[in-house]
Amino acid sequence: MIKYISKILKSGWVNLKRQGFLTLTTSIVIFIAVVLGTALFIFQGGVSFMTDAIKDKIDVSIYFNEQVSREEILKIREEVAKLEEVNKVSYVSPEEAYENFVETHQNDPYLESLEAIEINPFLSSLVVQTKEPSQYKAISEFFKKDEYVSLVYEIDDYKRGTIIDRISGMSDGIRNIGIFLTLFLSFIAVTVTLNTLRVSIYSQREEIEIMRLVGAKNSFIRGPFLIQGAMCGFFAAILCFVLFFLILFSLKTNLETLFMGFDVFSFYRNNIITILLLQLLIGVGLGLISSFFAVRKYLKD
Amino acid sequence: MIEFKNVKKKYPANSLREEKMALDDVSFNIKQGEFVTLCGRSGAGKTTILKLVSCEEKPSSGEVLIENQNICDIKKGQTCFLRQKVGSIFQDYKLLSYKTVFENVAYALEAFDFDGDKIEEEVMQVIDLVGLGDKLNCLPRELSGGEKQRVSIARALIHRPKVILADEPTGNLDPYHSRDVIKVLLKINEAGSTIVLSTHSKDIVNALKKRVITLEDGRIIRDEEKGRFFL
Repeated sequence: MIKYISKILKSGWVNLKRQGFLTLTTSIVIFIAVVLGTALFIFQGGVSFMTDAIKDKIDVSIYFNEQVSREEILKIREEVAKLEEVNKVSYVSPEEAYENFVETHQNDPYLESLEAIEINPFLSSLVVQTKEPSQYKAISEFFKKDEYVSLVYEIDDYKRGTIIDRISGMSDGIRNIGIFLTLFLSFIAVTVTLNTLRVSIYSQREEIEIMRLVGAKNSFIRGPFLIQGAMCGFFAAILCFVLFFLILFSLKTNLETLFMGFDVFSFYRNNIITILLLQLLIGVGLGLISSFFAVRKYLKD
Repeated sequence: MIEFKNVKKKYPANSLREEKMALDDVSFNIKQGEFVTLCGRSGAGKTTILKLVSCEEKPSSGEVLIENQNICDIKKGQTCFLRQKVGSIFQDYKLLSYKTVFENVAYALEAFDFDGDKIEEEVMQVIDLVGLGDKLNCLPRELSGGEKQRVSIARALIHRPKVILADEPTGNLDPYHSRDVIKVLLKINEAGSTIVLSTHSKDIVNALKKRVITLEDGRIIRDEEKGRFFL
């Protein structure tokens, strides 16, 4: 058995070397499919980065009446933190709110008015971030309970509600478009690769016929073709891996600006094993499957 | 060894689904060690007979028996075992274009799970027999027609088959190379193999002085021991 396998491996490797042009064209087609797969993986990473970034910006602020003490608010914060929907809850004191306002409104006429009244008009607040943007309603419901109604001055969800809904819908939309594009482009890549390999194996149908005529078993004929397809896929995957690494490294800064802060190179580096496995899976898998189906046609008894 | 019993073979001839009768009620028997020449015009049915023996085709009716085994009873995927008993030589050589002379001949042995260590020894013996010892590492495109045919013969011989089918092996060769090929076939026959040769060549048929089966329009019109070319 080992001898049989080594014979097939050797034969596949020799064919690969001798059929240089065929190997090159097959590898190029598989390479394109692997590039597409890798790009889609990175695209998915980008989409998830963007939707996370959008979600991070969504929060609900609960402003408390002036007479409510810091200790009371911190106690409420502990209660809120226990809620299932809550991701993060932070306390903002009137002083911090004032400082934040000053920081974000430099050279603004509002700031002059604020300085003129010489008092701090800001109230203490809790800024709540939910796990999903759509869960903000649960937070506002929580603060509408009798025990809190008298303490709360304002919940800003009514103002932000529509925006939160819209942003939430947008992030879902981006994700859906990503999934659709991934499926559609993967289908095209698989179809193109399969057909190209079919054409290349079609050109060798006479060789397959000769092998059958001299009494070779189907598995003995098929083996080297599968090895050839898998090797082409392997080369394509490795080439794609190295090229992506080099290109993303050299364009690191430009890409970060282009993709609104999404560091593509770091994403590639952090997921290097997954990406390499994905590329090998696409390359070798496509090579094997396409060769299998293309040869099968000529192996019927 | 080879027995045809009332064999008919029809091929679909054109898009109107009309059928062409390639063999019509053909019966004959070839004994082990015989040298039989099939004669006839193009389309007479010579190649169909060879294709039935090598199990490339199945008869439309009748029986084709190889060593008492009916080829219609051979299951899917088992054809290769029958082909291992039969060596084929073709007019267009049918060599694997990306394999060297050595590899083309060795392929036929490798395909039968032959013991790897003995392959080289066996291949060298047969290649020497056909006189191609100095062309071992050449690819088919680097060989002349006669040399290609000798590789094809070596490949057919390598697993010592009981039957050799030669389908117009001299069709693409000059008279000098043709004579060489026939000499090799006679030598193989003397060693005990059955040879079924299909040819158009009057000179070859007359020089052989062996059994001749003459076909016309799919029927056997003559079957003579020590026959001559008749058309």
